[in-house]
Amino acid sequence: MENLKTSAEVTWCSGCGNFGIFTAVRNAIPKLEAKGIQRKDIVITAGIGCHAKIFDYLNLSGLYGLHGRNSSNAEGIKIANPNLKVITFSGDGNGLGEGLAHTIFAAKRNQDITMILHNNSVYALTTGQYSPLTEKGWKGPSTPAGSFETPFNAISLMLEVGATFVARTFAGEISHLTEILVQAIEHKGFSFIEVLQPAVPYHSWSEYREKIEILEKEPETFEEAVKIAKNRHKYLLGVFYNTKRPVYHEGLYGDHNPLTNRLSRNERIKKIKSFLFG
Amino acid sequence: MVRDVFTFLVGGKAGEGVKKAGSVVAHIFSSMGRHVFQMDDYMSLIRGGHNFSVVSTSPGRITSQYMKADLVVNFDKRSCDTHINDVADGGIIIFNSDEQENVDGIGVPLSSEAEKYPMKKLMYGVGAVAILSSSIGLSKDQMNLNIKNQYPRGIEDNIKFADTIYDIVKVSHHNKYPLERGDKERPIITGNDAISLGAIAGGLDTYYGYPMTPASSILHFLARQAKNFGLAVVHAESELAVINMAIGSAFTGARSMVGTSGGGFALMTEGISLAGITETPILCVLSMRPGPATGVPTYTEQADLNFALSAGHGDFLRIVASPGTVQAAYSLTAELLDLVWKFQTPGILLTEKHLSESSMTIDLNIDDAKWAEPKLYTGGDYKRYLDTNDGVSPMLFPPSKEIIKWNSYEHDEKGITTESADIIAKMHDKRNKKLNALIGHLKTQNTVNIVRGEHTANLFTYGSTYMSVLEALKYGGLNPTIVQPIYLSPLPVWELEEFKNQDNIVVEQSITGQFASLLKEKAGLNIRSVIKRYDGRPFDPIELSTKIKEEME
Repeated sequence: MENLKTSAEVTWCSGCGNFGIFTAVRNAIPKLEAKGIQRKDIVITAGIGCHAKIFDYLNLSGLYGLHGRNSSNAEGIKIANPNLKVITFSGDGNGLGEGLAHTIFAAKRNQDITMILHNNSVYALTTGQYSPLTEKGWKGPSTPAGSFETPFNAISLMLEVGATFVARTFAGEISHLTEILVQAIEHKGFSFIEVLQPAVPYHSWSEYREKIEILEKEPETFEEAVKIAKNRHKYLLGVFYNTKRPVYHEGLYGDHNPLTNRLSRNERIKKIKSFLFG
Repeated sequence: MVRDVFTFLVGGKAGEGVKKAGSVVAHIFSSMGRHVFQMDDYMSLIRGGHNFSVVSTSPGRITSQYMKADLVVNFDKRSCDTHINDVADGGIIIFNSDEQENVDGIGVPLSSEAEKYPMKKLMYGVGAVAILSSSIGLSKDQMNLNIKNQYPRGIEDNIKFADTIYDIVKVSHHNKYPLERGDKERPIITGNDAISLGAIAGGLDTYYGYPMTPASSILHFLARQAKNFGLAVVHAESELAVINMAIGSAFTGARSMVGTSGGGFALMTEGISLAGITETPILCVLSMRPGPATGVPTYTEQADLNFALSAGHGDFLRIVASPGTVQAAYSLTAELLDLVWKFQTPGILLTEKHLSESSMTIDLNIDDAKWAEPKLYTGGDYKRYLDTNDGVSPMLFPPSKEIIKWNSYEHDEKGITTESADIIAKMHDKRNKKLNALIGHLKTQNTVNIVRGEHTANLFTYGSTYMSVLEALKYGGLNPTIVQPIYLSPLPVWELEEFKNQDNIVVEQSITGQFASLLKEKAGLNIRSVIKRYDGRPFDPIELSTKIKEEME
C-alpha cells in the first residue's frame, strides 16, 4: 500500500474525508491485483478541487485535467486504448456542476470507466460556496441569504442517464468503501460511486455518522433502485444498481484497439492510394 | 485572357440535388482528363432557399471557380433571376419554362417532365447533367453511362428523363461547347477530404468532432473511413468534450485530431491551453466561416486568424499553419501532426469554408506525407517533464511500470503539482525553449510558398485566398511575386526579410486586415494596400484580377 503513495506533500485539512477515500483506493488496488488486474494498466484522471489532490498523492499514472473535464479525458483514454482500466476522480461541483454534461454523457454511453464522486456538498477549495448537491439554505459566500436551489440527487440522476453500476458509500466506512471500489472497477461499463465525505471546515463527521444507514439489500430492478434512491434519505449506503449493457468502445469498433492494432504507414499509404485511384 | 476555361453553373432549391449535379458534371470533366474546380454556394437550411454549384474546368490547372458561367442551368425562377447576369460572353442560360417565359435563353419544361416520374424534383439534377451532356456534345451513351454510375437509384427513370431533356436541348444547342480533352483523369476531392487523408497518412488514430459547418465533413469522412483505417471516430456532446477526449487519447500515445469552426473553437480554447501546459500533442482543424458568433454558417471568411494565433490562456507555444490549396492540405496536415508530436504542443490547421468544401482535381503525391513520431523514453527513472536542451521531454505511454503524470497545474519534472517560484519559472523556461527548437526545425522546411514574378510589386496572401490569387493572375496575365506564408505561428520572418521594404500588396478575406497587420507587426513589412473581401463569398478571379491590376499600376 505504501508504494501507492507519492512523496508529494498532502495538503488536505487534518480530518478531511478525502483521507478515507485515499486509504480505500490504496486498499482496493492490491485486491484488484489479486484478481488479475495489473497496476500498470490502471490510469487515473481528476478534475480540479479538493478531490483532485488525490492525483498528486496516488502513485499511479494519469492525467490531471481541467475543472469538470476529467471524465472526457477518461473517455478519450479508454477509446484510444481499451486495454486500460480508467478511474476518474471528481468532486460534486466538478462533476455535477462544470462537468455535468460530460458526466451524464459518459454514463449514457456506458463508457467502461469508473467515476468516484467525492461528495462533500460544498465547493471547499474555493472557500465554501454551495454546490449542485448542497441542501437548501446553505449560507456560503455566494449565497449569503442561503441557497434556494433544490440539489440534485446524484444516485437517481446517474441511474436515469444510464450508469450501469451505481453505489453510495462513505469515507468513514473504509471497508465498505474499499469493497465497493473493487466491485466498481471490476464492473464492465460505467460505474459511478458517490462517496460521502465531510470537508471539515464546513461539516463535521458526526453529521454523517448520525445519519448513515446501510441498504439492507441491493434493489432487484431499475425501477426499485430509482424509487429507493429518490424516496429514501441521502445517507443510505450500498449498491443501488448493477447491470450489463453494451459498452461504448465495443459499439464503436468491436474488439479492435485503435492504438495497439494501428495500421503502419505503408498500409495507410496503400489504402489511401486505393481509395483515390481505385 | 484564358479562354480555355469553361464554366457550368447550376442553381435551384435545397433538396433538388444541385450540389450532386455539380459534382457529376465535375466528374464528367475530369473523366475527359481536364482539371476542375467546384464551389458550392448553399444556405443554412435543409429544403428550399437557393443553392448553386459552380464548376469551372480547363485542360490546364485551375484553382478557382469563375462566377461568369458559359452554361447556366436553373431549376426555378429564383435561380434564373439570381443568375441572369452571371452569364459569360457567348454563354447561355437554360431556364425552367414551366416557371417562366421570355428569358433570353433556352426554356426546358423541367417541372412538367419531372412530374411524370415518382421521384419528381429529385430528377432535376439528372436534367442538368443531360443539358450539359448535349451542350458539350457527349453522345447519349456517354451521358447514360455517367448517369448510371452517379445516380444509382431509379436508373431506368433517370435515363428516360435524361434522354427527353437531352433531345429538347439538342435541337438548338447540341455541341455548342465542344471541350478539348486534357492529359489524364485525376481524382476530385474536397479540402476536408485532403485534410482527413493527410491526417490518416500522418498517423491519425482518433478523431473527435461536434457537428459544425464547414468542418463537419471531416467528421463524416473519417467516420465513414474509420473501419477501413482502424480509427476511432467520435461525435461527442460538445467541443469541450471533443478537445478533452482528444487530449485523453493523446495521453495514451494515440495521434489525435479535432475539427471545428469559430464558435466551437472558442469552446475548445480551454482545452488548447490544457494541451499547452500538459504538453499534449494535439492537432485542431479550424475551418473559418464568417463571424462573429453564429455569423454566416455556410460561407467563407478569414477573420479568425488573430483568434487562432492567441487561442488559449497563458504563455505557451502554438503552431498555426494554413494550406494554400486542396492538394497542399494533404501534406500539411500530416506535417502538422508530426510537428505537434515532435514538439508536444497544440497545433492549429487554419483553413476556410472555401478550401474545406470546394472540390478540385488533384495531382497528389500520396507518399509526400510526414509520419508523426515523438521523442521516446529510453530508460531510467521516468520524468514526464524532464528538462532538456530543446525543452522537449521524452514520452512514455501506459501501460508502464514507470509512473507517467500529465498535469494541468504547474508541475515539477515528475508531473506533481507545484507552487514553488523556482519550479514555476523553470517550467516556463523549459516550455519556452521549444519555440527556438521549432524555429530551428522550420528553417530547414518549406514554410513560405514564394512564386517569383517579374513585376516590382509583391502579392501577399494565405490560405485558400492563394488559390483565388493564382487564378486571378493567370486570368489577368499579371506576374507579381506571390508570397504565401504557410506557417503563421511562428511566422517565418527569416523568409520574409527580403520583402521588408519592397512594394507589398496584401489580399485577404477580413475587414480589419488581420493578415496584413500580422505581417507588419511580426515581419516589419511595408504594406501599400490591402485588397479585402468580407461578404462571405470567395474572390472571383475576374474581379480580383481587375483589383490587383488597379493596385499594381
